[in-house]
Amino acid sequence: MDRILIIDDDEELCDLVSEYLTVEGFEVESVNDGEAGLARALEGEHDMVILDVMLPKMNGFDVLRNLRLDSKLPVIMLTARGDDMERIVGLEIGADDYLAKPFNPRELAARLRAILRRSALPETASGNEAIEVDGIKLSPASRGATLEGTELNLTSVEFGLLHELLKDAGKIVKKEDLSESVLERKLSPYDRSLDMHISNLRKKIGTRPDGTERIKTIRSVGYIYTLV
Amino acid sequence: MKLFVKIFLWFLAAVLLMVGVVIFITRTFQTEPMESRWQRSMRNQMSIYGGTATQIAATEGENGLKAFLGRLSDVDPPRQVALIAPDGSLRFGDAEEFDEAHDLSARAIASGGVELDAPADDRTYGATPVTLSNGNQIALVLKWERQPSPSLFLGSWVGNVRLAGLLLTALILCALLATYLTSPIRRIRHATKRLADGDLQTRVAKRFGRRRDELGDLARDFDEMAERIESLITSQQRLSRDVSHELRSPLARLNVALEIAKQKAGPDTQPILARIEIESERLNEMIGRLLTLARLESGAEEIEPLRVDLAELVRDVAADADFEARANGRYVEVSAVDRCTVNGSENLLRSAIENVLRNAVRYTSEGTAVDISLTALDGHAKVVVSDHGGGVPNGELEHLFRPFYRVGEARERKTGGIGLGLAIAERAVRAHKGYIVARNFNGGLQIEIDLETAKAG
Repeated sequence: MDRILIIDDDEELCDLVSEYLTVEGFEVESVNDGEAGLARALEGEHDMVILDVMLPKMNGFDVLRNLRLDSKLPVIMLTARGDDMERIVGLEIGADDYLAKPFNPRELAARLRAILRRSALPETASGNEAIEVDGIKLSPASRGATLEGTELNLTSVEFGLLHELLKDAGKIVKKEDLSESVLERKLSPYDRSLDMHISNLRKKIGTRPDGTERIKTIRSVGYIYTLV
Repeated sequence: MKLFVKIFLWFLAAVLLMVGVVIFITRTFQTEPMESRWQRSMRNQMSIYGGTATQIAATEGENGLKAFLGRLSDVDPPRQVALIAPDGSLRFGDAEEFDEAHDLSARAIASGGVELDAPADDRTYGATPVTLSNGNQIALVLKWERQPSPSLFLGSWVGNVRLAGLLLTALILCALLATYLTSPIRRIRHATKRLADGDLQTRVAKRFGRRRDELGDLARDFDEMAERIESLITSQQRLSRDVSHELRSPLARLNVALEIAKQKAGPDTQPILARIEIESERLNEMIGRLLTLARLESGAEEIEPLRVDLAELVRDVAADADFEARANGRYVEVSAVDRCTVNGSENLLRSAIENVLRNAVRYTSEGTAVDISLTALDGHAKVVVSDHGGGVPNGELEHLFRPFYRVGEARERKTGGIGLGLAIAERAVRAHKGYIVARNFNGGLQIEIDLETAKAG
């Protein structure tokens, strides 16, 4: 059974989410402030964290930042709807996904499953071999990524996206396919999360020595990992 | 500026009028006294000349007298001098010049004192008796060519300089005075405009220093008003933001509880639970937009001046909107896209264009297309979105950007709008110092967003 840690100061909401997720087959524990939540998450007893941004004692971003210092525990951030900054900051610090609050619990459960599947299981047989392209080395088994020997520290979504792009390096990968294979949901209009993940990924892998982007956007179609 | 010109001209006119009046009064009323003063001085001169001439005649004889007379006439400006005997015969001087002076000389000899006569405006004769060495009486006559009475301003270069100096002083003083009066008014006006444009922190009194007059009072009153408006508006905005924010927590719980209910409920309650979900989603959307609006209106949404590729943005949003529209039998057509970039926040601009476009898709008639175009011209980027939804009454066009403004109650509900999209778009565009206008065009509503494009380089 997957163990979920909810860090949110709304106790009633925590109770309700626990009840819902329990029915959906998760084991849920909730903590109501940032400090205690961080301490609990660092104990390594959970498979996944649901983290609210607005928290007493220590806000969600700080919890995530501290957590990322020595843990790759998958994190879904709960951000205020309409606040793009929170989303961008969250993903930048290393959240695996975000969900605008108030959220649809079915959506939450689906995302939890998607992320858990990705992080827990090694890649499926076809994509299991390590890939090395253009100085970037990906090993799906350990989910480790290095660029010219330096660790890249990718989140699981970023790893998934880079993996898909490198697998078909030099070819266009459609947004729809990326959304379904990596985010495990259908691409919906006005959904900017794929672009945000790609933009964070670009920041992490940097540009080529001559200043060109490694990942190019093909507008309203998808992305391509360019080969020199 | 107009007030400046008015005040300037009025004061100038007043000064010029005063000068004119002074000249007029001087000319009209000072002529007489000046005349008599002049006559008095002539009398004195004549009696001195008469006495001197008598003395010289006694001591130096006829030749000495003539030499004295020569000295009398040889002054600047030259005067005519004559000696006229009681019988009218001329003993010295130019006969032609003294035609008119015979009676006068006789009178002077008869009276034994100075006699003056001005047969015309431009000449005056003065006669005084002189006793010759032989004891005979003779008249010494002087003829003055009357100088025109000196004008205060015109006629001589001193007068011209005087006039020019006066005019210049008047001009400078009037300009200074007009500036003194109008510049604070201009400053207050400027501040009022800034306040009206939404800069609630505008204050003016600081720049008026210790000015204690009515304009200083006006500036302080303006500040008081601005203070009050600012506090009212910020508290109203904070209220709307806080309310929206607080509404979210129960809504989040409601959503989860609803899902639990769905897990547990039988099949016949599912439809009504689905309905509750739709309504809660609608509430959620509304609160989200209210928050966005509150953030935009309070100016809390910081705009980092980043380059935004507007062409790409328009194509992106159009593609998304087209995807959504096709599900309802409507289309989005991109008719023209010029390459252009603007400085601003991509998120805000995206939400502005997206809101306008989705609004158009919502109202355009089934089977029709919404047209979006981006044209760049003269440093301005224009995004024009036109639908075919019948438009709105002309009188309501300007209200379209008000939050929760509804053109037709039923129509809006049916189409699922919540009346905040255009308000958000307007605030977002205004935050970029752009303009947004709505007009009826070709059987539909047309919305135009006008933004300044980024300078190249």
